[in-house]
Amino acid sequence: MIPINSIAYGLTLGGILYIISIGLSLTFGTMRIVNFAHPVAYTLGAYFLITLLPLIGHNFFVGAVIAVLAVIPVGFIIERFVIRKLYGVSIDYAIIATYAVFLIGIDSIKWIWGTTPIPLSDPIGKDIVISSVTLPLYRVIVIFVSLTIYALLWIFFKKSMAGKIVIASLEDKEAVRSLGINVEKYFSFVFVLGSFLAGIGGVLYAPITSVHPYMGFMLLLISFAVVIVGGLGNIQGTFVSSFALGMVMAITGWYWPPASEAMVFVVMAVVLIFKPIEV
Amino acid sequence: MKMIDVIQYKGNGGGVNSLVAVVLIAFGFLILIPIIGVQRTTDFIIFCIYVLGYSILYGYMGRLSFGHMLYFGTGAYATTLFTVYFSENPFLALSFGIVAGAMVGLLLGPIIIRTTGACFALINLAFNQVGYFFALVAFPEYTGGEDGKSAAFSQIGFIDFSNRIVMFAFALVFLISIFYVLKKLTESSYGVLIKSIKEDEGRVKFLGYNTSTYKIITFVISTTVTAFAGSVTILNYGYMTTGFIDPVRNVEVIFATLIGGPESLYGAIIGGVSYMIISNFLAIYIPRWEMFLGIALLLIVFRFRKGVWGFISEVVNRKISASG
Repeated sequence: MIPINSIAYGLTLGGILYIISIGLSLTFGTMRIVNFAHPVAYTLGAYFLITLLPLIGHNFFVGAVIAVLAVIPVGFIIERFVIRKLYGVSIDYAIIATYAVFLIGIDSIKWIWGTTPIPLSDPIGKDIVISSVTLPLYRVIVIFVSLTIYALLWIFFKKSMAGKIVIASLEDKEAVRSLGINVEKYFSFVFVLGSFLAGIGGVLYAPITSVHPYMGFMLLLISFAVVIVGGLGNIQGTFVSSFALGMVMAITGWYWPPASEAMVFVVMAVVLIFKPIEV
Repeated sequence: MKMIDVIQYKGNGGGVNSLVAVVLIAFGFLILIPIIGVQRTTDFIIFCIYVLGYSILYGYMGRLSFGHMLYFGTGAYATTLFTVYFSENPFLALSFGIVAGAMVGLLLGPIIIRTTGACFALINLAFNQVGYFFALVAFPEYTGGEDGKSAAFSQIGFIDFSNRIVMFAFALVFLISIFYVLKKLTESSYGVLIKSIKEDEGRVKFLGYNTSTYKIITFVISTTVTAFAGSVTILNYGYMTTGFIDPVRNVEVIFATLIGGPESLYGAIIGGVSYMIISNFLAIYIPRWEMFLGIALLLIVFRFRKGVWGFISEVVNRKISASG
């Protein structure tokens, strides 16, 4: 029998994966760009947080908010100077260009903060007990944050005009453009939104793992698996597959810890066998 | 599949005669020896084999793989483990590396070639990550884990691969024979077909060709040549580490292919040599290596898409059309 702790860990991981993957999925669905630069926003969020913490008296909540807000301009700069020039360019060049941004971003991080992993302790440090099972409260909060983000995004996409335009662009970009709507403007917004969410993911995940320059690379690969399993640009699918793959990782990790990440890609390969993707 | 049409195709002719090209390449590398030394030249040649293997898949068939270190590493690991557990005969070990590369290609190919574009790049990267996991974490008692393993090769007759001149000669022979075979292949009807798949796979299918078969064949050729490059690397260095299968290093071959010009085998050679010159000699003067790579890649993507070879052939063509 799988312990409740593993299931809780899977849910936490699923929540983090959802927060990170939704940006990738949206960027792919709207712009047809696979954004390798995504971990830059994620990793920067975590580094901003650890830089801020000593300055503001180790108040995690304030630090997290400022760090996430600080990621937004970075997303904006990447969008303005690289992504915007990639519209209509072949997808291979888009991959290479965003990977180049990844290299530049990660090297800047190494330049500023060095390569040594920096551990970050659990900001709450309390456990909660649910019927004889002890769980760190922080992880439960992460699950709730991810569910809140899901709900907020759902409201945004269903109720707001901008959200509806983005959803329509996922279906048919040309049709939306022919209505006289400047879709590129909304795509820029989607990209910055994705970077913002990645920043939240980085800040939330930092206390669970340690902070180091390559912390985002592995998570990026897993997020890609989430996006592929959930369907490219499929918002509901991304939500379901995040939690499914989070559970896969947790359960595999319970049997054989080092295999948990590899297992995700096995699942992805199986999905691709039965559902080939022509993009 | 309409094989008849393929066989009747006469080839696009033109271009440089393959034999002349082979001689020129060999000559070029011989000139490099007095400048940078035998050992570095051998490194350059082996890297060029790798770029050739990559180029056939990306440059000709238009499938960007972001996980070719897996196939490189397959060759490297297969060769090393063969020498450790079976025989120290270098030729058997090399053959085992080649077979392993082909087997991995045949095993993963049917899954991987079902995707295109971004997914193709990513699924390769994902498998690369799985391979890295196998090498580093899953079976450290066999693969040596993070420490790697050293490979010793026995002497066969007068052929001793620890002699640098012998190593260089064999590497050069390997490179030019692979170049020759790939050049013949890409100039044949098969080459035209895979280029057509790059342009518009739907139309090729419509003409009655089973594109999947050709995609798998190309993929397996690519993995085999890449694995072979990995095997020869082990023959040259004599040790193996996880660095040979590390997914973070995938960008090297992509950079080399792009800078040389992806749509030509000459471009692959030029790109391989250029990348090696940059990483071996300029890297000392570049304090932030990854940042340099990133900026260079951005410049290539936005300003210099045809690469060095594309640039040269454009200039030459303009001269020809201006004079004639």
